[in-house]
Amino acid sequence: MTRRISKTKRFIMMNPIIQFFKFIYLSLKILVIVAGGHGGTRRVDQ
Amino acid sequence: MSRIVVLGAGISGHVAATHLRRKLSKKHTVTVVSPNSNYQWVPSNIWVGTGRMQPKDIIFPLAPLYKKKGIEYKQAKVVTFHPEGDTEIEKPYILAEYVAGETVGAMEKVTYDYLINATGPKLAFDMTEGLKPATNKAYSVCTYTHATEAWHALDQLIQEMKQGKKKKILIGTGHAKSTCQGAAFEYILNVEQELNRHGVRDMAELTWIANEPQLGDFGMDGMLLSYGSNIMKSSELVEMVFEDRGIKWIIGAGVNKIEDGIAHYETLDGEYHTETYDFTMLIPAFSGHGFKAYDKNNKDITDKLFKGFMIVDADYTPKPYEEWTVQDWPETYQNPSYANIFAPGIAFAPPHAISKPRVSKNGTPISPAPPRTGMPSGITAKLVADNIIDTINNKKPSLRHKGSMGNMGAACIASSGYGITKGSGISITTFPIVPDFNKYPDTYGRRLGKTFGEIGLAGHWLKLALHHAFLYKAKMRPFWWLIPE
Ligand SMILES: Cc1cc2nc3c(=O)[nH]c(=O)nc-3n(C[C@H](O)[C@H](O)[C@H](O)COP(=O)(O)OP(=O)(O)OC[C@H]3O[C@@H](n4cnc5c(N)ncnc54)[C@H](O)[C@@H]3O)c2cc1C
Repeated sequence: MTRRISKTKRFIMMNPIIQFFKFIYLSLKILVIVAGGHGGTRRVDQ
Repeated sequence: MSRIVVLGAGISGHVAATHLRRKLSKKHTVTVVSPNSNYQWVPSNIWVGTGRMQPKDIIFPLAPLYKKKGIEYKQAKVVTFHPEGDTEIEKPYILAEYVAGETVGAMEKVTYDYLINATGPKLAFDMTEGLKPATNKAYSVCTYTHATEAWHALDQLIQEMKQGKKKKILIGTGHAKSTCQGAAFEYILNVEQELNRHGVRDMAELTWIANEPQLGDFGMDGMLLSYGSNIMKSSELVEMVFEDRGIKWIIGAGVNKIEDGIAHYETLDGEYHTETYDFTMLIPAFSGHGFKAYDKNNKDITDKLFKGFMIVDADYTPKPYEEWTVQDWPETYQNPSYANIFAPGIAFAPPHAISKPRVSKNGTPISPAPPRTGMPSGITAKLVADNIIDTINNKKPSLRHKGSMGNMGAACIASSGYGITKGSGISITTFPIVPDFNKYPDTYGRRLGKTFGEIGLAGHWLKLALHHAFLYKAKMRPFWWLIPE
């Protein structure tokens, strides 16, 4: 195993309080990307 | 009065059937033909495969729900397609064979006005010699039955490791053209976490084997993503995670034969190797079901409907990778020969791969097939349902709803370990799924910001939240339709 993730990073990744806010942020961000709509790509609908 | 027949009750078939039923008046009939009596939330199979969930946590029976909601259900499998009817029946129909109950084996001609083929893939284990779930120490997590078998074998292995025996675990893709690398990726990380939890991590050698030319290709040609304040390639992100967790990797590998505890594979440089293991989980190739289609005179017209998977409004003209465009990808999932037949989800034939095709020095194609994950499967099913609803309600053909994978985002919340405080997840979003090199020429065809990666406990919570939300939605509980696909 090679340490590729620093102790500080790991702390942030696993801290429930920080991660709670991350959870809210990620949920909203993903919702915006995914529910943000979709459509065609062909010239006729542009 | 129209009858819409939906083939398959997986993510896309169920989404289509439930939306049709909610939005169409009761004078129209929605019929689902599917062989499995249960709905399964497939993404959570990886947790069944690590013993953290039971099949009952991810499935529910379809018949009572469909009865309550007024959806006709036939526990049967489609055998042949007859889009023009035949000499006896003028209406188009599919021939279905019942697979359970008193009518098992009986055949029925199920007529339709609109047909949604949402039969997903055939799990083509037979395309790799010796690859069969629960034989040769090889397992799968593609269904809840497979995942249960995988967990029993893994659990046994863990017990042996506890007695001091070293073991080798191999996880990845089981064919040179497999897709669904994401599921195998999730599984290897979950297995690693479980080995840690049981205190046997140092007793296991964990190896990733995949047909990807680079780590993090995921059948999507990899991606450039924002990660915190950095911009990195998905290959770098996955490499960081694998190194951090002590997972070795073999890439550009087309597994071609499985023997008891031995995987044979060929690499892109044309060499043949073997890898031994005590437990392996390999995703098989996905293929079409091999359905046949006939016209009204019983003449074989399979090539009008199928090209492996079902033919839809894609541009199937063969062309080199350099000439692929997002415009090749379908938008309405309508069959060009029969306007009342649609194929959302995995059931449609993609125009080509997304990852650059690669061949080994011996001429063997070794590169991922294009994935169609849960989210696009749901979105494409809903838009197909919406177009049918508009067509019925407005009494004129409508294809207003469109959704190309070249203009659609997807979130892949990859679980990398289960546990409310010890779990973690790698959340990756991609926009668009099929890279658009004209729109985003400097960022590998994807929009940065909308294509990002995050690692941490929040990812696990998100994956768990999605598990509950999507099962709630699938069970059609109050206001289920407010939850997006
Ligand atoms: C282990 C695993 C983990 C995954 N994790 C994720 C994830 O985290 N996120 C994500 O977005 N995607 C994930 N996926 C992918 C996702 O599950 C698929 O994209 C999705 O299931 C495709 O839906 P579908 O309805 O097109 O096909 P399926 O879900 O395969 O459904 C096909 C349906 O057709 C039925 N059928 C088959 N043959 C016939 C027949 N002859 N007649 C009638 N019906 C038939 C089947 O019984 C089934 O009901 C995962 C896949 C796997 C295997």
